[in-house]
Amino acid sequence: MSKLFPTQEIGSLKKPADMLKKVKDPNVSDEEKIKARNEAALLNIKTLEDIGLDIVYDGEVRRVEMYEEPVRYVDGFEFAGRVRSWDNKYYNKARVVGPVAFKQNFHAEEFNFVKDNSNRELKVPVTGAYTLADWSYDEHYKSKDELVLALARNVVRPLVKDLVGLGAKIIQIDEPAATTHPAEMDIFRESINESVKGIDAKFVVHACFSGNDYKALAPQMPEIKAEQYTLEFANRDTWNTGLDDDARKGFQVLKLFKEHGFEGEIGIGVSDVHVNEIESPELIRDRILYSAKALGDPTKVYVNPDCGLRTRTREVSFDKIRSIVKGAELAREEIK
Amino acid sequence: MISSYTFGIYPRSEELIEATRKNTENLDSLFQKETEEYISAQKNAGLGFVSDPLLKWDDIFRPFSNLSSVTPTALNRIYEMNTFYRVLSFDGQDLVGGGNIVQSNLDSSLPKNKTAAIPEPFTFAELHTSNKFKRKEDFTINLAKMLRVEIDSLVKSGFEAIQLLGPSIAYNNEVDFGLVSDALKILTSGLEAKTILHTYFGDVSKKIESLLDLPVSGLGFDITTTPASSIEKHSFSDKLLTVGIINSFNTAIEKPQECIKQVDEINAKTKPKESYVSTNFDLEYVPKEFAMNKISVLGEIARGAKDV
Repeated sequence: MSKLFPTQEIGSLKKPADMLKKVKDPNVSDEEKIKARNEAALLNIKTLEDIGLDIVYDGEVRRVEMYEEPVRYVDGFEFAGRVRSWDNKYYNKARVVGPVAFKQNFHAEEFNFVKDNSNRELKVPVTGAYTLADWSYDEHYKSKDELVLALARNVVRPLVKDLVGLGAKIIQIDEPAATTHPAEMDIFRESINESVKGIDAKFVVHACFSGNDYKALAPQMPEIKAEQYTLEFANRDTWNTGLDDDARKGFQVLKLFKEHGFEGEIGIGVSDVHVNEIESPELIRDRILYSAKALGDPTKVYVNPDCGLRTRTREVSFDKIRSIVKGAELAREEIK
Repeated sequence: MISSYTFGIYPRSEELIEATRKNTENLDSLFQKETEEYISAQKNAGLGFVSDPLLKWDDIFRPFSNLSSVTPTALNRIYEMNTFYRVLSFDGQDLVGGGNIVQSNLDSSLPKNKTAAIPEPFTFAELHTSNKFKRKEDFTINLAKMLRVEIDSLVKSGFEAIQLLGPSIAYNNEVDFGLVSDALKILTSGLEAKTILHTYFGDVSKKIESLLDLPVSGLGFDITTTPASSIEKHSFSDKLLTVGIINSFNTAIEKPQECIKQVDEINAKTKPKESYVSTNFDLEYVPKEFAMNKISVLGEIARGAKDV
């Protein structure tokens, strides 16, 4: 993108309450449910466009959530039941009971709708093979490596290939589990490379923060076939404006990426998705400018929230995105 | 036949999960009903020790947030799991809670042969913070003193075995075993109950010599992370040995005969003072249906294994 500091979302937004009510109501017809989903998707797309995001999608409004949605449509999985994430929050965890295989492009309807209803650049989020494996019980494959590679080759690659065939140009592979096992980064690297093998598109990898602060990821980055990483930084940064290391604690690891020879783009997380407070445009500006300096090239900096915003209210989410857009404008003015 | 037990938090049923999310009127009765089901399942499986399923506990540390001047803070990942615990900040002058924090959160209908699990001090200090005790050593020792009061209360009310949960000892590359030992000494000195230290979430192959020197009655191993071949190199003639043979992180149900053979081989080579089988860690990582099956299989393994 020719514009400096392009802005983008990571993926999920909280679903509109009226849509959820309709799709869960057994008395509502299938046609009405389709209409409700389309309306919600359109609302998200247009809201993100109106706010001024450069790269948009639909807030994953049709997906149950990032793990359960793909697993529903892949051969070889059976749901086992819910397992705790924290407190009273649970996720539906599946068992791998046979060879995993792609059945159909479960994001095709979603992508086609977004493509038909937006003129902006689109970034399609797709759950990665490593995370699908890590969040499942494996009762079939001999090792985790074997399962990860089977998912990369037999599920994610055909899905991505099909999406690109439909016109997708930017694919974001979501891998929140990637950095939780620092000793398994080799298999993570292979999983991405196998997932994108032979496919012509721009690939973005989204990895959440873990206690390792991306230190295990950094040496792998030049070897992974991804042009961009969208990563979390805001959640451990200070809320003070400023361009010095003390103010920008959360972003210092960017220097490490450069030291390891990564020359691609970073989608910097400038907004903490776990708090309701809205970051000021000035704070976001400084996070962007610091990152541009740390990477040594402002054209490598994309701007986004840390992660999907689905745990925040829609009002908070859109306010955060508004601030991101304004912060990017301020940063562009500084660079002129 | 050898003895057996499980420890830690058990999974809630789908019905109970929904009830906790919606805070339904029958929530308390559901908790009680399900607690009793788990206790019965353990009794029916013939487990040597029976534990409370801790269904109301949000994580293994959460009851300690009831201590004065302790504040629950951010969520933190449990090692490399996709599950999170709440970090507790110990900000007060003293870590005193009257010794009834754990006991008051356990079911009163547990049978005589009961066991309870609590985090050991080194792990506790690793995963939480204190504004009062800046040095980790001080924090660890003070937590140990607090936990000893809890253990005394448990033993007084009839708990015959205390399971000490020490995943940080396994997970961390660097472990100050001097500090671990000093803290455990506070917990176990003069105690009239068995104390078994469980290591999981990491391979302790290179730490077994140090573990054998710790002042606890026994050691428990997760054999999915610490290979049996590493354990078998050591003599357990002075220690109880618990083989964590049931994998709480996979829904695949263990084959009893294969497990019995493996436990017999480990016991033949290590010659433990007493032998136990258990889960490798909390059963809450599998849904209830699988947990129930695993409890039953655990009992079958214990019955089939050769007495030492």
